[in-house]
Amino acid sequence: MALVGGRGCSKIRGSQIRELLDSKHNVLFDCDGVIWNGETVVTGAPEVVTLLKQQGKKVFFVTNNCTRPRANYVTKFARLGFTDVGEEEIFSSAYCSAAYLRDVAKVQGKVYVIGCQGVVKELMEAGVPIVDEEAEGAQTGTIYDYPLDPDVKAVLVGYDEKFNFIKLAKACCYLQNPECLFLATDPDPWHPLRGGRITPGSGSLTAAVETASSRVATVIGKPSRFMFECIASQFEGLDPGRSLMVGDRLETDILFGAKCGMDTMLTLTGVSTMEEARGYMDSHDPDSGDFVPDYVVESIADFIEAYEEKEEREEEQG
Amino acid sequence: MAVSKCTLLTGPLIKQLLDSVDTVLFDCDGVIWRGNQAVPGAADVIDLLKKNGKRVFFVTNNSSKTRKMYAEKMKTMGFDAKEDEVFGTAYCTAMYLKTVLKLEGKVYLIGNNAMKEELENVGIQHTGTGPDLIFGTPSDWANVPLDPEVKAVVVGFDNDFSYMKLNRAMQYLSNPDCMFVGTNNDTRLPLEGGKVVPATGCMVKAVETAAQRPAQVVGKPSPFIFDCVASRFKLDGARCLMVGDRLDTDILLGSNCGLKTLLTLTGVSTLADAEAHQRSGSPQRLVMVPDYYVISIADLLPALQG
Repeated sequence: MALVGGRGCSKIRGSQIRELLDSKHNVLFDCDGVIWNGETVVTGAPEVVTLLKQQGKKVFFVTNNCTRPRANYVTKFARLGFTDVGEEEIFSSAYCSAAYLRDVAKVQGKVYVIGCQGVVKELMEAGVPIVDEEAEGAQTGTIYDYPLDPDVKAVLVGYDEKFNFIKLAKACCYLQNPECLFLATDPDPWHPLRGGRITPGSGSLTAAVETASSRVATVIGKPSRFMFECIASQFEGLDPGRSLMVGDRLETDILFGAKCGMDTMLTLTGVSTMEEARGYMDSHDPDSGDFVPDYVVESIADFIEAYEEKEEREEEQG
Repeated sequence: MAVSKCTLLTGPLIKQLLDSVDTVLFDCDGVIWRGNQAVPGAADVIDLLKKNGKRVFFVTNNSSKTRKMYAEKMKTMGFDAKEDEVFGTAYCTAMYLKTVLKLEGKVYLIGNNAMKEELENVGIQHTGTGPDLIFGTPSDWANVPLDPEVKAVVVGFDNDFSYMKLNRAMQYLSNPDCMFVGTNNDTRLPLEGGKVVPATGCMVKAVETAAQRPAQVVGKPSPFIFDCVASRFKLDGARCLMVGDRLDTDILLGSNCGLKTLLTLTGVSTLADAEAHQRSGSPQRLVMVPDYYVISIADLLPALQG
């Protein structure tokens, strides 16, 4: 059966998946809702990763989740049954934000961070100097007289469960200087937890800082292209035309794939639904095309079936 | 009738304008005071307007003071103002919940003691004010216990704003029947001296983003804040003058409600801002062009004294 191309929201399985994967060198996976949901692995995901690597594909993990540093991600992968995932294959928005500050913006000075330990650790690992909020005197003062660090040259906003008014005020003050950079790890307004529950995301905190400062943040995470450029800078010859982006969120993963020139695949084990995908497809809005996945699968576990079928046919042919 | 706009109010025009209105509504910050300093001549302007038989009201987006607190502040600064002449958003939001939304139930409040008091004054129960620190795991946050009596989330100025408060608001708002009200959308407090203080608009925006729902905003330029005054005092918009320093709140409110508008240049917006809106030709911007402008409201004195 011929493979239907273009942004057609085509549900594929079996040999269609096999054909698609044969034409790709690289597969990029989002994590939450694709290979795991919280602490529960998506059944078959570890086998899929191993299978793809056996087929000679490069596999990358591209996540907006900035709550843990890469080393912790490696442990999580191992804990959930993935036997062969290395730190160098994991690209989180926190890691990429640190890389951006160090290698692209080449910031000379300190970064004022609104972020959880996951964000702070990546900056420290990358050698990016940050304002030490734990230092004596940093936490004192009211909204009218708290201390400001004169060396701050950038503000980074990420997921921060300790976000409060003073942090918002400090960020806003630093951003009064037009030379001070303004970055956000990711735009996600909320994050899904298991069982359909949600918690506020980095995007809602960034919205507060943008409103206070009347400035727009440069967003590192999907759907911005930067995370792809970060991967490409470390893996020469990464061709978007030979890469497949697999995700569960149309507004981040699929849009990201489209913007980077990759084919996109929506898996239905996470946030977005087939109805929502079709909604974008049927929309008259000229921009909605980029939200429509090329392909759709129920779960990435369907990849396993694709390879088994081929093996069975090869056995039959003798 | 097309009237030329953004005209300098001077000479005989001042008396002409004042004779055409019965009521003058003043914004506070940047108009009659700046921080804790009264604008020179402002108190006299208000006195003389009243002596000339005009009714005077004060309309402010600030949600941190009750009407009583405002009246007291104004007295200390030398202004003659009674409690029922002042309309701040703490009071107007309580009135909006009571008379327009006809709220029956509790409010999940992100706000301050003034809002607390104004809500209690109209008999609306709320969840309180003060710090709300994070505890536990993300799963605890997502499953935070919700008070079944809460029927509305209300966001005003709160310098104890925190991730946990944002989280609770978002959880309540996942019920589409839960109402969502913000006191105002101002982005920064008008403070002098370097430090920039974020205002309620930031907190409203954070909750709107997390909840993926827009808030109903009570303060300028929403017409409700004018309706709040007009319905109580039976005002005729065509015989009212709105005096303010911000094109996107004060002047826009005036336009939205059919009032005459006067921009004073002692605050946020500049004459260049007004003229840029005028030249733009865009309908959304033309409504922010004032009918008249003065350098300071003290410029009204000669006409009032004469």
